[in-house]
Amino acid sequence: MSILLSRETRVLVQGITGRVGRVQTKWMLEYGTDIVAGVTPGRGGEEVEGIPVYDTVAEAVVKRGAEASVFFVPPASVKDAVLETIEAGVKLIVIVTERVPIHDVMEIRAYAKDREVQLLGPTSPGIITPGEAKMGIMPGNMFTAGRIGVISRSGTLAYEISADLSVAGLGQSSVVGMGADPVVFTNMPELLELFAKDPDTDLVVIVGEVGGVQEEKSAQFIAQRMTKPVVAYVAGQNAPEGKRMGHAGAIIQGGMGTSQSKVTALRQVGVEVAEYPLQVVELVRQRLILY
Amino acid sequence: MRLYEFEGSELFRQEGLPVPDYAVTASPREARQKAQEMGLPVIIKAQVLAGGRGLAGGVRTAESLEQVEEVVHRILDTPIKGLPVRWVTVAQKVEIEREFYLGVTVDGYSGTPVVILSATGGVSVEEIARAHPEQVASRQVPITKGLSLSEAQQMAQEVGLERGELVQVAATLHTLYNIFRKYDALVTEINPLVRTPKGTYLAVDAKVEVDDASLYRHPDLQVVLEDRILNPLERKGYQIGVTYVDLDGEIGIIASGAGLGMATMDVISQRFRPANFLETGGAITAELLYQVMDLVLQKKGLKGVFINLYGGINPIHEGAKGIVSYIREHKITIPIVAKVLGNRQEETWEILKEQGVRVVTEVATEKGVEQLAHLLEGGK
Repeated sequence: MSILLSRETRVLVQGITGRVGRVQTKWMLEYGTDIVAGVTPGRGGEEVEGIPVYDTVAEAVVKRGAEASVFFVPPASVKDAVLETIEAGVKLIVIVTERVPIHDVMEIRAYAKDREVQLLGPTSPGIITPGEAKMGIMPGNMFTAGRIGVISRSGTLAYEISADLSVAGLGQSSVVGMGADPVVFTNMPELLELFAKDPDTDLVVIVGEVGGVQEEKSAQFIAQRMTKPVVAYVAGQNAPEGKRMGHAGAIIQGGMGTSQSKVTALRQVGVEVAEYPLQVVELVRQRLILY
Repeated sequence: MRLYEFEGSELFRQEGLPVPDYAVTASPREARQKAQEMGLPVIIKAQVLAGGRGLAGGVRTAESLEQVEEVVHRILDTPIKGLPVRWVTVAQKVEIEREFYLGVTVDGYSGTPVVILSATGGVSVEEIARAHPEQVASRQVPITKGLSLSEAQQMAQEVGLERGELVQVAATLHTLYNIFRKYDALVTEINPLVRTPKGTYLAVDAKVEVDDASLYRHPDLQVVLEDRILNPLERKGYQIGVTYVDLDGEIGIIASGAGLGMATMDVISQRFRPANFLETGGAITAELLYQVMDLVLQKKGLKGVFINLYGGINPIHEGAKGIVSYIREHKITIPIVAKVLGNRQEETWEILKEQGVRVVTEVATEKGVEQLAHLLEGGK
């Protein structure tokens, strides 16, 4: 069933009555996602695309059995809403919202730490298990079902590389957007571990970018514990120092966070790293034959 | 968003940390007057949002009033790392008996604040940590609990401080952490905290960076982000709500995501040089892409534009309308190649083609850039 999400997952949409929430609910339903409820405080009793809307997450969990939630909630409301959602017992939370204050992200992470909940984001495009379900904003027509796992810091680049793989006949088990902020809820090695345990995944593609240490830490994890082949691409070979490249976390500072540092760390532990996105396809093919 | 040093000092002062008396000015004459009031010698510091300002000649001591004017002139006339210097601070020279380093920052990977204290200051803390690891203490702070005064005192003890010094430095560290939390900072740093021969403690430098995403809840900061973006094209980008990074090349880039934009730069750099990085974010409208075209085409020496959009959250068919109306109104003739995929892609392709945009329907950015190269070489 791939990781985290399947066609059986009962999904809640938070912020369902907003402009983006409505449109994305429609696309997710068309894709086959089992959306069981929406939540917008003060809008309980309404319907969006035939889906009942509740005032609170607790109601959606009790009345509709929601077990996963995707967020289209404004940044200032994210912290309270996530805490409410964790309290209500939801096990998977995907935050699509951009520009959530970093201190809020740190607080949420601290709160979620000892609880059994998997959070993705913020600034995540979501997660898709091709042919089954998607939570988030990924355009479904870029993906095909198969046995390659994809973990990406970027949304749009995950679409491109998945579509490159799809065109080459290499389908995906799950594609996970981990988010692009300086602090994210789930670090890359944790996602590598989920794919390592997944019987439906043969190989994992990492789509990294400049800034932070996610790729370097992944290299450590791969050296010690990864049981499946990994192929990577790291965007931003030509990113200038000191400029935020669109994502809050995509910045080279004081010589730290360069694509070179990441590529070197990954290659040292035997990861094949592509020079440009399309080369990922070639490297995946080679590794699958070897494996 | 980085604060200027004087803004950081003001914040520290408001929050109860002692800072030296200083004046901010853009005038050599006024600087002279302030120096006279304060008494010589004075330290003159360039106010600029770049590191390494001391090495770049942006920090000087002046012993006479004539020298004050001369130094201020020189500093205001010399850009630091390409950034113009708009103000200087004039401050009475502080007598130094001992220097410390105090910093709070975000550890992105662990997702916690990190507090760092060094018994030696005035130089880079990385250097001290390498040469004298016993003089540096750092700890991750559980954010829901915070840093207690006694924990700050333990850190002071770890780096070998004693008695009054331990108490004073720990109290400053504790306050610095609370400022970090109160203002949603990414960095609060004092390098150095100085102990004077009189036994007083002064924060002689102030480095503060605030999380842009949190500015909505800090009207008290009264700073305007836009004002500190000095590149006019980058400022325009900020005004219309996109990220624009000015580069040296000849191919304009418009991408609907940050990772995609960086990958597009990587691919274009194999043959050409990107003129810019531009990321629209997830709120594309016809109007926004019209403005984006206007921004990208302002760059001098542009030979072509590559548009790379995905319709996930973005209504690309709307964006396409903005692109074509700009091309039509401004009679743009340089080659424009668009690779636009996702929800409602067929409709989008039709809109673009009608205005002469070369539409690439393949997935790979590499194929699109090949098309652009073909057009630039005079192909059809």
